[in-house]
Amino acid sequence: MYRQLIQTIVLFIVLMGSLHVQAVPKKYPYQAVTTVGMITDIVRNVAGDKADVEGLIGEGIDPHLYKPTRNDLIALKRADIVFYNGLMLEGKMADVLMKIARSKPVYAVTEGIEDEGDYVLNTEAQHFDPHVWMDVSGWIHATRVVAESLSEYDPKNATFYQENANAYITQLKKLDNYAREVLATIPENQRILVTAHDAFNYMGRAYGLQVKGIQGLSTESEAGVRDIEHLVSFLVENKIPAVFVETSVSDKNVRALVEGAGAQGHMLVIGGSLYSDAMGKTGSYEGTYIGMIDHNVTIISRALGGSPPENGMQNKLATAH
Amino acid sequence: MTWFVDDTWIVIIGALTAIACALPGCFLVLRQMSMMGDAISHAVLPGLAIAFLVTGERASFTMFIGAAVVGVLTAVFTQWISSLGKVDRGASMGIVFTTLFALGLLLIVQAADHVDLDPGCVLYGAIEMTTLDVAWEFQLGETWIEVPRAAMVLGSVALFNLIIVVAFFKELKISAFDPELATTQGINANFMHYLLMTQVAVTTVAAFEVVGSIIVIAMLVTPAATAHLLTDRLGLMLLLSAIIGALAAGLGHLLAIVIPPLIGFDGTTTSGMMAVTTGLLFVLAWLFAPRYGWISRLVSRKDVKSPFSGPLPSD
Repeated sequence: MYRQLIQTIVLFIVLMGSLHVQAVPKKYPYQAVTTVGMITDIVRNVAGDKADVEGLIGEGIDPHLYKPTRNDLIALKRADIVFYNGLMLEGKMADVLMKIARSKPVYAVTEGIEDEGDYVLNTEAQHFDPHVWMDVSGWIHATRVVAESLSEYDPKNATFYQENANAYITQLKKLDNYAREVLATIPENQRILVTAHDAFNYMGRAYGLQVKGIQGLSTESEAGVRDIEHLVSFLVENKIPAVFVETSVSDKNVRALVEGAGAQGHMLVIGGSLYSDAMGKTGSYEGTYIGMIDHNVTIISRALGGSPPENGMQNKLATAH
Repeated sequence: MTWFVDDTWIVIIGALTAIACALPGCFLVLRQMSMMGDAISHAVLPGLAIAFLVTGERASFTMFIGAAVVGVLTAVFTQWISSLGKVDRGASMGIVFTTLFALGLLLIVQAADHVDLDPGCVLYGAIEMTTLDVAWEFQLGETWIEVPRAAMVLGSVALFNLIIVVAFFKELKISAFDPELATTQGINANFMHYLLMTQVAVTTVAAFEVVGSIIVIAMLVTPAATAHLLTDRLGLMLLLSAIIGALAAGLGHLLAIVIPPLIGFDGTTTSGMMAVTTGLLFVLAWLFAPRYGWISRLVSRKDVKSPFSGPLPSD
C-alpha cells in the first residue's frame, strides 16, 4: 500500500515535469510586456512590427491596487523587455518588477522623465505623483524615453524607433493643442476639477485647472469624513456645477459629495466618468491613449460649462458620458 | 493552456506547504484544536511589528523569530486562560488571538505608519510570485534547474516536521489521545503539547511569509480532517493527509489555470483555488469514505460514530 502510494506520487511529479510545453512560434522579433494601457499604447506605436506588446493591467482596473497573477508572472518571465510607469503607480507590483529587472531590461518610464529634470511633481517629501500621462506633453516625454530605451535594447533599429516616435509625437502635439483649446472654453471661475482620487495634477498644471481629488495620490489612502465635508463646502462656495467619477475607482465618495452639496441646496451633478488610471475598452477609440485624453478633456469641458465639439477632437468619441 | 516550469515549481511549493502543514495539522485535528493555525497566523502581527521596529527591515530573519516567538506565546496564553479561567479552549484561543492581532495593528498604525510595512505584504505572500526568488541553481543534464527560495524554506520546514513526528511518534500519539496515560508512562505531556505548538508556530510563520496565510490555514486543517475520515490509524492518517494536501495543491493550480478562461475571466489566485480544492476533496471523502462516508453509512445502516466526536481507537 505504502509503496503503491509512493509510486503514484513519483509518477505524478514526473508527469508534471514532462509537461513543459515550449514556446509557440514567434511572429515578432521580440516580446515587450507593459503594465498600464497608456504605456502599452506608446510601446505599440514606437516598436511597430518589431515587438509583440502585451499589456498586463486591463481596462477599468486600478493599477495602484493591482496584484499580479500567474499569467502575468509567465508573461513577465518570457518578455524580452519590460516597461512600467513607476513612481509607485503599480504599488503591489513593485517587488515583482524589481526581481524581474535582475535578469532583463526593465524600464520605469516616468522615472526616465524624472531623470531629465524637474518635470515630475513632488507633492510631499519623497512622494512623487505618478499620473504623468494626464498632461500630453508629459506623455511626449514618455514617448521619447520609450524610443531611447528600445534603441538601447535593439540599436540596429534605432532610427526606425526614432521615426515612429516622431510620428506619434506629431499626433500627441495635436491632442495637446486640442486639450488646451477645449479646456480654455470653460468660464474662468469654473476651472475647478474635482475627481475621485488625486490623478489630475499634471492636467491641472498643464491646462490651467485647479484640481482636487477626494482620495490621495494612491487609491490605497482613504478619505475621511472631514475631507468630504471640506470638499463639499468648497464646491458649494465656488458654485462648481460638476464633479467626476473615474472608471477604475469606486464612485462611492463622489456620490457622497453630490449628496452633501444637495443637502446644502447646491445642485451638483456627476459630469461623467473619466479615464484616470486605466483606458477604455480594448479596440475602441477610448481604448487608446489619444481617445482617452480626448474623452476626458471633452467631458470635463462640457460639464464645467465649456463648449467642446460634440464628438471630440477627431469626431470619434461615442456620445460620451 | 500551456504549462511552464514555473507552474511545476508552484505546484511543488504548494505540495511542500501541504506536507509541512499536514503533519502538525493531524495532531491539531485530533486534539480538537484545529483553529490554532488560524489563531497563530493572526496573533503573530505584534511580533512582526516589534521585530520590524527593532531591525527596520522586512522579510528578515528577525521578523521570523519575532513572529515565531509570539506564535508560541499564543499557545501558552491560550493554555493559561483555558486552564485558569474555566474558559473552553476555542474561546480562549479567540480571546488571545484577537487581542494580540489588535495590539499588532495598533503598533503598526502608531509606530510604523510612515514606513513601508503593509500588513498585507507580510501576511499575504503570493505563491505565484515565489519562483522569482531563486536560491540555488544547478545543472541537470542540459537544463539548468533554478530552485526557488520558497521551495528550500518549505522543504526544510517539511523535513523538520517529519523528523519531529518520526522521532516522537509514540509520545505525540499517546499525549494526543490520553495525556494522563502519557504521564503515567513517564512522558511529559505538557512538553509534547508545547513541542507541537512550536511546530505549528514555526510552520505557519515560515509558510505564510512565502506563500500567504490562506493556503497555510487551509492546509493545516482540511487535509488532516479528510484523512481522518478515511482511516483510523494514525500513521496512515499522517501519510494520507500529506498526499491529499499535495494533491489539492496540484489540482488547485491546474484548476486556477483552466477554469477562469472557461467562464470568461483572466486569471485567479492559485492559493485561493488550492484552498478550495482541499475543501472539495473533503466533501468527496465525506460522501464516499469507506467507513465514515455518508453513502456507506446510508448503505450499511450501521450507527458508526463520527470520527470527530472523540479520539481515535489507537492502532
